[in-house]
Amino acid sequence: MADKSKLGYEFPSHRFEVEKGKIAEFAMAVSQKDAPEKVNPIYTGEKAAQQAGYPGIVIPPTFPTSVMFRTGGGLMGVVNALGIDLTRLLHTEEEYEYLGSVCAGDALTCRMKVVDMYDKAQEDRPGKPMEFTVVETEMRNQRGELVIKARSILVER
Amino acid sequence: MPLQLAELNIGDSLVPYTSSPITRTDLVRYAGASGDFNPLHHDSTFVKTIGMERVIVHGMLIMGIAGEAITNWIDFKDLRKFNVRFAGMTEPVDFDDWENTRQRATITITGKIKNKFEENGEKRIRCDIVAKDGLGNTKLRGFFIAALQ
Repeated sequence: MADKSKLGYEFPSHRFEVEKGKIAEFAMAVSQKDAPEKVNPIYTGEKAAQQAGYPGIVIPPTFPTSVMFRTGGGLMGVVNALGIDLTRLLHTEEEYEYLGSVCAGDALTCRMKVVDMYDKAQEDRPGKPMEFTVVETEMRNQRGELVIKARSILVER
Repeated sequence: MPLQLAELNIGDSLVPYTSSPITRTDLVRYAGASGDFNPLHHDSTFVKTIGMERVIVHGMLIMGIAGEAITNWIDFKDLRKFNVRFAGMTEPVDFDDWENTRQRATITITGKIKNKFEENGEKRIRCDIVAKDGLGNTKLRGFFIAALQ
């Protein structure tokens, strides 16, 4: 059961170096390809990315999840810090706001905060409410610019 | 070739994007790439302890596939917001029963232009997206907002 006293809790900030190889791996994973040569070249080639109008090799749209998973000690760190029961955990909503480009070589500083915790009754399980935890993460680059805002909703059923 | 967003009208549908049947190898590759090592997605002995028959696909891999669809439709640099709500779990294809299990593991992303508006001094569109498997089960619903150049 999520520990409601954690509402407002801010995890220690985490600095994440955006590595070229990590971007290529992520791009391969979401496009189900087994080699970097097979993915969209904006994720693997500096020249291709620049020709497409990016400052450098760019991250795929859902790459911020991999940054978040290394903040707060990873999934298990977050789950343990918030007292969430892993066997009941569901991820129900995810949102990214893109405020600036993130490229290979950037360093992101992430601040993750618990912004809401609430219960919702379940019709089929009286007395066993679903417990919601809403986490927001702000990612700033090495110039201090806010480039990504992420919001995740986790539920224990 | 990305779409000319300015030429799209409300109600227009985008060309659907279909994944390959998702394999357990895809799940392992995604776990390593994302850092999401929840055993639910790779350890069949763990899932049995919580009463499930098979490992399930990371919801975030389905969102990642939807992200691939979006960046096939538009330039990523025009993307402003991407939101999904997960609607159902997905089981990977079984290699020893490929024909009977590939549809449940094959995801198609569709998109429909919902709105055009101005925000932060830009012309923007909102496009609703849905991810369904080959059997018609919905996996996620969401939307993205993109700037019109």
